[in-house]
Amino acid sequence: MNKFLVFLEQREGIVKQSSISAWNRVQELAALDGNSVVSGILAGPVDTLQLDGVLAGDGVIYHAGEDGFGVYNQEKYTRVVADTFKREACTALFFADTALSREIAPRLSVRIQASLLSGSTTGKGVADGVSRRVYSGSFLASFVPTRQPRIYILSSSAPVPAFPDGGRIHFIDMEPQQCSVEDFFPVVRNIIMGEGPPDVAEARIVVAGGRGMGGAEGFALLEQLALLLGGAVGASRTAVDAGWRPHSEQIGQTGKTVAPALYFACGISGAVQHLAGIGSAGVVVAINSDRDAPVFDAADYGLVGDVHIVLPKLIDLLKEFLKKQ
Amino acid sequence: MNIAVCVCSVPDTASVVGYLDGAIDYSRVNVVMNPYDEYALEEAVRFKECIEGTMVTVFSFTPDSAKEVLRKALAMGADRAVRVRCSEGELHPSDPFLTALSLSRAISGFYGALLPDLVFCGKQSTDFQSAQVPSMLAELFGMASVSGITSLHASGDFLRVEREIEGGIEAIDVTFPAVLSAEKGLNEPRNTSIRAVMDARKKTVELLEVSLHEEPFVVLSGIVPLERKKICCFVPDEHELLRILSHDCNLL
Repeated sequence: MNKFLVFLEQREGIVKQSSISAWNRVQELAALDGNSVVSGILAGPVDTLQLDGVLAGDGVIYHAGEDGFGVYNQEKYTRVVADTFKREACTALFFADTALSREIAPRLSVRIQASLLSGSTTGKGVADGVSRRVYSGSFLASFVPTRQPRIYILSSSAPVPAFPDGGRIHFIDMEPQQCSVEDFFPVVRNIIMGEGPPDVAEARIVVAGGRGMGGAEGFALLEQLALLLGGAVGASRTAVDAGWRPHSEQIGQTGKTVAPALYFACGISGAVQHLAGIGSAGVVVAINSDRDAPVFDAADYGLVGDVHIVLPKLIDLLKEFLKKQ
Repeated sequence: MNIAVCVCSVPDTASVVGYLDGAIDYSRVNVVMNPYDEYALEEAVRFKECIEGTMVTVFSFTPDSAKEVLRKALAMGADRAVRVRCSEGELHPSDPFLTALSLSRAISGFYGALLPDLVFCGKQSTDFQSAQVPSMLAELFGMASVSGITSLHASGDFLRVEREIEGGIEAIDVTFPAVLSAEKGLNEPRNTSIRAVMDARKKTVELLEVSLHEEPFVVLSGIVPLERKKICCFVPDEHELLRILSHDCNLL
C-alpha cells in the first residue's frame, strides 16, 4: 500500500490555494491507484474550519499548530516533515510548487534519501515519474525516480480535478515539537506583501509589454488594461533591463514562467527567451506593429498595429463591454 | 573569509539548441556562464572588495572545451578557479543530487576540514532548470541556505537577505556559514576590462578530481522537442478581438 503525504502550506493562518489543489490532485492519483491513502502535514497555527468542504477525499492531517511554526523556518519545517514522513512510514511526499517548497524539498530529498521529481506526473499513477520543460521551454524532458521514497513538486499548470463534495478529514494535533530551536537560522525577519494586483506568476490574465511600449510611462496603458481585467502586468527582459519595470514582473528564461488563461503580448517581438516563459499559457494575444515579428508564431490571435493606438481603443471598448455585464 | 562560488556552463540564451536522434545536439550551441551564476559570482567579488582577506574560489564541472567560462570568472575577480572532474566519467547535468554531491566533495577536498564561510550559487541553471542543487549542497554540508536572493547586506555576524515569494518579499536573517543562491536583480554583473581578461589568461585553472560511486536519484528517461508554433489568426480590429475573447473564448 502507498502512503502519500501532502505538505499544506499556510501564510498568516491561511492555507494556500496551491496546497489545496495539490491535495486534491494527490487524492485523484490515489483514487486511480486504488491502493493508496492520503495524509497531510500542516505546519503553523491554523483554524482548520477553513478547510471544511474544500479538501477532497478522506484522510488524516497532522497539525503542528504551535506558534513556532507560524512563520517559515527552514530547519523546523524540514525536520517536522521528515519526522512525520518517517514516523508514518510514508512512500511519497507531495508539494505544490512554491518558493518555500523549492527550498525545503531538495533538503528533504537528501535527508530522507528520496528521489525528488519536479513537474507534472506522467501516466496514470505516480510510479511513472514526471515531465517538465527544460532548455527554456524548447524541450519536454521525462524523469524517472531510482529510489523508493519519492518527493514530488507538482507543477501548478496541471488541471485540478473537480470533486463533487469535500471529504472526511480527520485532524490530529501534534505534540509540541521536541526541537525547540528558537535561534535556528535562517529566520524570516519580516514579510513585505505586495499590494493590489495579483502576482504575475499566479494571475489568470497577464498583460505583458516589451520594447514597443516605448518607456516606463507606456506601461500605464497596460496597468489600466490589467486593472479592468483583474490581471497582472508582466514585462519582457528588454523592458526590465531598461529599468521600466521591476524584475519581479519579468517573464521568460531569466524571469518567471507563467500559465495564465489569457496572455497579452504588447509590443513584444517574441525572442526565444521570452517565449520560454509562456509555453503553458492558454490563449495568447499578440499586438505588434511588425507583422513579421516572431511573437505572432506563438500567438493564437494577432492584431497588427501600434500599441499606443490599439490599447487605448481596446481599453475604451472593454470599459463599455464591462458596463453592460 | 573563504567564499566558494559554483558555476556551470549552459547554452547561450540566443542559441537554438538542436535535436538529433532522440538527444540534444550541442554542436551549434555557443556555451556561456550560466546567467544566474554571474550574479552569484558578482556578489562574491563585491564581498571580497568590502572585506579584506576574503578569497573567492570558483568551482565548475565545465568540460575542457568550455574552459573560457572559468577564465571569465577569473577576469570578473575570482582569486582561484577550479575545474572539477569526476574520475568515473563526465557527470550528466540532469540529476541534481549527483551534481550537489560531487560539488560538496570538490569543495571539501579543496578546503579540507575548514569549510568556506559562504557558498554562492546561481538560483538554477538555464538548461535543466531544476533549482535543486543549492539547497541539496547546503543539506550535505549541514549549512543553512536561502534560495533566490535579490538583495544582501552584511550586518555584523549575520547577513540580511531578501527573496521573492508569491506576492511579496521575505526578509531573512542568516548566519555564517550558509549557501546562498542568486536571483536576477541581486546585482549588475560587471563588464570585464581587457586588462582583467589579459590578467586572467596568466592565471592557472586548477584541476581537481573527485570520486563518485553513488547512483543518481533521478534519471532522464526521454527528451523531445516542443513545437511552440501556433497558427495565428489575425484579427482586423479591436472590436473583433474583444468579440472573440468574450464570446468565442469566454475569457472576459
